[in-house]
Amino acid sequence: MSLVTAHLRRAGVIFRNEVLVLPSRIAVLVFILGLLLLPVFTQDSYILRILILTSIFALLAASWDFLSGFTGQMNFGHALFFGVAAYSTALLNLHLGIPPWGSIPLGALGGVLAGLVVGIPCLRLRGAYLALTTLSFPIILMGVVFAIPDISGGELGISGLARLSESRVGDYYISVLLMLVLSFAMWKVTDSKTGIILHAIREDELACRAAGINTTRYKLMAFCVSGFLAGISGGAYAHVMRLAGPSTLEVAMSFQVIIWAVFGGMVSIYGPVAGVFILFPLMELLRFIPQARMLVFALLVLVTLLYMPEGLIPWIRDKIETVCPRCKARNVASRSNCRVCNAVLD
Amino acid sequence: MRRLGVLGSVLLAAVLLVGLCGTAQAVEPIKIGVAGPMSFTQGQGHWNGATLAAMEINAKGGVKVGNVKRPIELIKVDTNEFMSIPDATNAMELAITRHKVDFLVGGFRSEAVLVMQDIAMDNKKIFLGCGAAHPELCTRVTKNYNRYKYWFRITPINSKFLGKVIFIQLGTVAAMMKQAFGLKKLSVAIIAEKAAWNEPIVAAAQAALPKMGMKVAGVWRPSPVAKDVTAELGAIQRSGANIIFTSFSASVGIPFAKQWGELQVPAPVVGINVEAQKDGFWAATGGKGEFTQTLNTYARVKMTEHTIPFFDAYMKNFKEAPNYTAGTYDAVLLLAWAVEKAGTLNSDKVVPVLEKSKTVGTAGLLAFSKDHDVIWGPGYVTSLGTQWQGGKNMAVWPYKWEGITFEGTVPVKFPPWVIKRYKK
Amino acid sequence: MLMDIIINGLINGSVYALLAIGFSLVMGVARIVNIAHTAFYMASAYFIYMGFTFAGLSPLLAMFCALPVTVAVGLACYRLFIKPIQEHEAAVLIGTIALAIAIQEAFLMSFGGSFLGVPPLIKGYTWILGVKVTWQHLLALGVALLVLLAVRLFLMRTSVGLAIRSTAQDREVANLMGMNVTRVAMWAVAVSVGLAAIAGAIVVPLVVLDPHMWMHPLIMMLAIVVLGGLGSIEGSFVGAYIIGFTEALVVFLIPLGAFLKDSVALSIMILVLLIRPEGLFGVVFEEER
Repeated sequence: MSLVTAHLRRAGVIFRNEVLVLPSRIAVLVFILGLLLLPVFTQDSYILRILILTSIFALLAASWDFLSGFTGQMNFGHALFFGVAAYSTALLNLHLGIPPWGSIPLGALGGVLAGLVVGIPCLRLRGAYLALTTLSFPIILMGVVFAIPDISGGELGISGLARLSESRVGDYYISVLLMLVLSFAMWKVTDSKTGIILHAIREDELACRAAGINTTRYKLMAFCVSGFLAGISGGAYAHVMRLAGPSTLEVAMSFQVIIWAVFGGMVSIYGPVAGVFILFPLMELLRFIPQARMLVFALLVLVTLLYMPEGLIPWIRDKIETVCPRCKARNVASRSNCRVCNAVLD
Repeated sequence: MRRLGVLGSVLLAAVLLVGLCGTAQAVEPIKIGVAGPMSFTQGQGHWNGATLAAMEINAKGGVKVGNVKRPIELIKVDTNEFMSIPDATNAMELAITRHKVDFLVGGFRSEAVLVMQDIAMDNKKIFLGCGAAHPELCTRVTKNYNRYKYWFRITPINSKFLGKVIFIQLGTVAAMMKQAFGLKKLSVAIIAEKAAWNEPIVAAAQAALPKMGMKVAGVWRPSPVAKDVTAELGAIQRSGANIIFTSFSASVGIPFAKQWGELQVPAPVVGINVEAQKDGFWAATGGKGEFTQTLNTYARVKMTEHTIPFFDAYMKNFKEAPNYTAGTYDAVLLLAWAVEKAGTLNSDKVVPVLEKSKTVGTAGLLAFSKDHDVIWGPGYVTSLGTQWQGGKNMAVWPYKWEGITFEGTVPVKFPPWVIKRYKK
Repeated sequence: MLMDIIINGLINGSVYALLAIGFSLVMGVARIVNIAHTAFYMASAYFIYMGFTFAGLSPLLAMFCALPVTVAVGLACYRLFIKPIQEHEAAVLIGTIALAIAIQEAFLMSFGGSFLGVPPLIKGYTWILGVKVTWQHLLALGVALLVLLAVRLFLMRTSVGLAIRSTAQDREVANLMGMNVTRVAMWAVAVSVGLAAIAGAIVVPLVVLDPHMWMHPLIMMLAIVVLGGLGSIEGSFVGAYIIGFTEALVVFLIPLGAFLKDSVALSIMILVLLIRPEGLFGVVFEEER
């Protein structure tokens, strides 16, 4: 009994000292609680559908950030992982009758495979070369999809998949939890030793190699992890839409991911998630001006970038929090002394 | 835009008028969602056709449900389906759960319509398809009747029939070529965009042409969105084909027709070219698309007694000829008829009425097969063959086919460069 | 058949070359991966359409009016949206994507999604070695060669050209040497957008005009510049013809797979990169890392 209370007390202390002291962490907490409790207040199927798709795309954008933001492997063809996994999930579900809990992770292995297929030839490429080469992979695959209509369904795609779950609320919880858990896991990885190595590869690959790190292995790992997570989102998408079609491979899809992620703020994982949670529902709000929807969207992105070239979330974070010059801990902007080492904040 | 504004106010006025003249209580309108890509010709066709029908019905006081006459209110559902499939699904969900539409008409891109169909079926809403030709949409009705029975296809006829009709048209043109130029054996180049709906057509063409006494000069499969087909046309010219058999539903139809005219490839074109069904085709090809022949749904010929009045009213209101997505006109009228007959808006009650429909639409007699697909054939919807002649899309088929020649049909014209090539 | 392939390859190649050269220039000098490049190509075509249809200008006159308008729009976009964020690589990237989408949507709103036609400068066709070729295609071939020559002369013989080249080689040293790097970048953008506008005027009459037409040439253009080596103008030129010939080969040799021409062309690009990661004519700067 006392053990339980001790643990609870410890958790409470961590909660008070690590979460409640920073506005950004409180915001994340509120966001998570809000998402989890939403169905208690409304079960409107339209709102739930929007949030399901938003969560799926948020995971996709976060997985892009893991590869392109953290590791610096600028990927312009992220739709490839998404599309390959959507198609594999659909085929597994339809022909082998594997239910969603099996077909999504197995389908995501298709995403991993795609990650390797792209990653290996692209190991020697950098910057713009890498970006422009990756862009062409989904287009090549699109050609293949049209070449084998018996398997892929051509322009029609593969339809008639099983539902993700029996109810809309079930779909909602599955996609929201997938997004939250996997994004949190990614965030944890980027915070670990591996994360530091990935970060180092982005900043200076040559120096990294000189330090005795097998950068090839880490780069390929980043491709695979990103491919797997994008694959999970692709598989979930296929089961929610009950269709995997060529639109999952379109260039517009790849571009969309980049816009979401960079708008929200790269190299943070939570930035891209926030980006999707702002931009995707925004498109729905803009339905009152149907013709000008995309134009408003594009202009909004352009103007936001002018003032916040690092993205929206890092900009806000830097406004409300400061980094301690001595111990690098984050503090509320209103504090005059660091909460950890008591150094004077400027 | 202003044009639509005026139309909108007319519609509103009609609704108001009905509201005022009707019973003392405000009558609740019947809400019909018109789903389509509204920034594009296809979606505009959906909206215009439905608007015209709603105007006509409301001018007559509305639809009689039980003892009340209820006006029709159209809800614009911009699916943006060419750009984004999630967008299309969100729009459908919004229309059903927020705008509370009673029925849905429209839809165009097959991939999107499959998903839109599922959402409509989830909510047990009758969805009358007016744009996607893929058989799968109706196959689903047979596979799972209880779930998919709320789906009906109004237009176009499904791609199996499309294939049938274009073979008949090809045969007609081939016979004319033989007669006019004294050719013995014709060779036909098949050019069909690479798309799943085209596979059975291409396979059938390769099998049927030799039986029809023609040789296959070659098969070319460009991408549906190819922008330049000069290489394909060069190869076709080199193959010595006498006739070009096309099957295009996407944008490739325009560069094909344009470059065919510019290069004066000496072989007439027959088949499907959806872009050539649209009014903007002439301007888009800069007149180079003249003599392009395509399967079509509407032209100013008397297919039924409703065709010409509809065509003229459409021209008057929207300053362009209707393309096949304007079949929403028939869809809305059909719904009104079925609702009156069923005396309720309840989908389960309306479906059996629709199943037994034998109403005369603008493109023929509207009746449905077991899988809720519009029936093709003489006496039903036959569809047309049209050819661009001097800036106008003229009906050229049916021409003495099964005893049918619609009033206003003209003979096929061969391009002068084809005549020059074969006339000695 | 062989003649068909050669002539069609040459023509396809020149159309692509016109686009790729301009993109390469701005890539080399301003270090901008300008996704909106083909959007300007589209804009120029729309301006020509407007001049021809609404102002009743002749095709040639409409083209000459559209050129400065497009360049002005391009420079304005650069000054307003791209230059302020030039230091942030990722921001520039989505900045140009968003710009392209904004241009697309602006035209979609004004003209709808329907297909439009721009009149050709020269109508009709001719026979060359037994192959039918439209005059407009030949014009594209001629203009592509001329433009390459002109760009080369401009870069090699003028002081602005010298400035552009030195900035392309080393931005910081050029700046230290007292060169106005900003102005040089403006020049490069102006020339680049101008080239896109010329390409629009020459190429669009051959195809169709619609608000989404920028996407396909964009992909092919990107493949070409990567294949040729980023920032290398000769490379872009050669790359354009490689891709052009590949497409013609695919159509003539495997007619059933004509739709695969993009896929095959892109695969060739990837193959080249496997062997030479810096493209055919690219230079590796070790210190740039």
